[in-house]
Amino acid sequence: MSDDIAIRVRGLVTRFGEQTVHDGVDLDVRRGEIMGVVGPSGTGKSVLLREVVGLETPTAGEIGFPYHEANTIEPRLGVMFQDGALFSNLTVLENVEAPLREHTHISPHLRSEIASLKLFMAGLGPDSLYKKPAQISGGMRKRAAVARALALDPELLFLDEPTAGLDPISAENFDRMTEELARSLGLTVFLVTHDLDTLHAICDRVAVLYKGKVAAIGTIPEIVANAEGWVKEYFSGPRGRAAGRSAGG
Amino acid sequence: MAATAAFDFREDDRSPVLALSGDWTVDTIAAQEAELRAVAEQLKPGAVVDVSNLGRFDLAGAYLIDRTFRESEAGETARIAIRGQHVNAMQLLATARASAKALPEKPHRTPGLIGFLERVGRVMAGVGHELIETMDLLGETIVFTGKMIVNPRRIRWVSIVHLMEVAGLNALPIVTILSFFLGLVVAYLGARILADFGATVFTVDLVAFSVLREFAVLVVAILLAGRSGSAFTAEIGAMKMRQEIDAMRVMGIEPMEALVVPRVLAMLIMTPILTFAAMMSGLFGGIIVSWGALDISPAMFIGRMAEVVPEQHFWVGMLKSPFFAIAVSVIACQQGLSVGDDVASLGRRVTSSVVQAIFMVILMDALFALWFLEMNW
Repeated sequence: MSDDIAIRVRGLVTRFGEQTVHDGVDLDVRRGEIMGVVGPSGTGKSVLLREVVGLETPTAGEIGFPYHEANTIEPRLGVMFQDGALFSNLTVLENVEAPLREHTHISPHLRSEIASLKLFMAGLGPDSLYKKPAQISGGMRKRAAVARALALDPELLFLDEPTAGLDPISAENFDRMTEELARSLGLTVFLVTHDLDTLHAICDRVAVLYKGKVAAIGTIPEIVANAEGWVKEYFSGPRGRAAGRSAGG
Repeated sequence: MAATAAFDFREDDRSPVLALSGDWTVDTIAAQEAELRAVAEQLKPGAVVDVSNLGRFDLAGAYLIDRTFRESEAGETARIAIRGQHVNAMQLLATARASAKALPEKPHRTPGLIGFLERVGRVMAGVGHELIETMDLLGETIVFTGKMIVNPRRIRWVSIVHLMEVAGLNALPIVTILSFFLGLVVAYLGARILADFGATVFTVDLVAFSVLREFAVLVVAILLAGRSGSAFTAEIGAMKMRQEIDAMRVMGIEPMEALVVPRVLAMLIMTPILTFAAMMSGLFGGIIVSWGALDISPAMFIGRMAEVVPEQHFWVGMLKSPFFAIAVSVIACQQGLSVGDDVASLGRRVTSSVVQAIFMVILMDALFALWFLEMNW
């Protein structure tokens, strides 16, 4: 059974001084699923992501990768930060090549080809490969950031607010790309979002963080069926209903 | 942990078979690239990939296999037949094929001498352009300062006083210490050279002339360029990058009034004060050396200074300080406002802020020297 779990979080507590952000978070992300994490602003969604990828240490609790541990494989993670965090002094192609250059001995030509393949898969055109991140649009930067996150073929992909700041059409395309990549490469995706459309469109399961705990977890219909308080307001408010309708119809 | 990638190429009964074994992932494929190139030439249409012994497989591995087929006789549309069972081989190979496109040509750079000349030309044009922009900002600063003097309620005193402390007062220790050492060095130099002529007493003249006229004000200006000018550029540049300056404009706050003029005024007020402090500590350095190495007592030093060093040297030094202050702060603000929206341009602008400011200070000092010489001051 534990073979199936890609990310396991148990009893996670995070405190910044007096402020308690997480107060016992338990969460399992299954292999190959797209897990959406939602919650009101300030509930530590991004902090949770940063702790799972190892950028921050929780005050208490455990974070593990049961599947990888069972098979003695080192979990390889790809992370897309909110604004892309592309290196601004490198071209888009060089950004994607950077992890390959650091971690493999692949010849420069093949390296460029693999990097460009990732960029093409993420939906960038050949003309943006040699541009600097500042010269392409915000949506393209996010796509390039996903390509960079996928450079080393990770099994686990983390996305922090992937559609924030994109227009609805770009956001929809971005969601579609995420789903395609996840399905065709067999990725496990952990995404933090506020975008109800993303949740309805691509997430297999959703976890709601509220007041330091996981208030609800499951598919959206499951959550909505048992929703109360904030969760209910979130999914049954006008925006939640609209997103549900468009995903259903 | 990861098994090395390996392959075996054999020409079976009819169709050639490429049997893969081990892991074919981004970590392991590097070694196989060259050998696969050789295989590509022998690969005939109808070749089969045997994946039954394949371990872990990822998109990088799939791409390499797919490329090998595309480079074979069968060309871009080579069909890849798969033999054996594997979790994701078929899917990844299809994905790699679907998204693979030829790598576009790198944008070419004009090579050799012509390219070099082109870059030199660009740099020179850039220098001219920057000079005009700096003069532009200087003019604007003067206009805005004038407007604010006419309407003094618009002067931002809180901001000016804060900047006077941060950019001026806080530089006081380092300025006085450096100037003290410079006075020390000049006095030693004098003691050494003048002793040959038995004229060590002229050390007093040397120290007083050089510190009052040149060194104190130069140390202050160069230090402020490196310390406060760079900070101005970085602050304003970061605000520009984060669109804070646009936000100010939209709110009807004029960035010239809120950012540039307070900085220029703060520097204008603080630089003469710092120069005065630097003069005093430079002379103090000279006094210490004269006392210790030349038996010229502090009283004698000061007495001789009053006797032979006319007051005008002090005023020459002080007169230059506000000009340097304006040069340093206007250049710093101009560079800050020219920052683009990428990090690299911030670094470039801070560098050129410091370099241009120091260049300008020394150039102006040379012009002043010429002018004072002609004026016989």
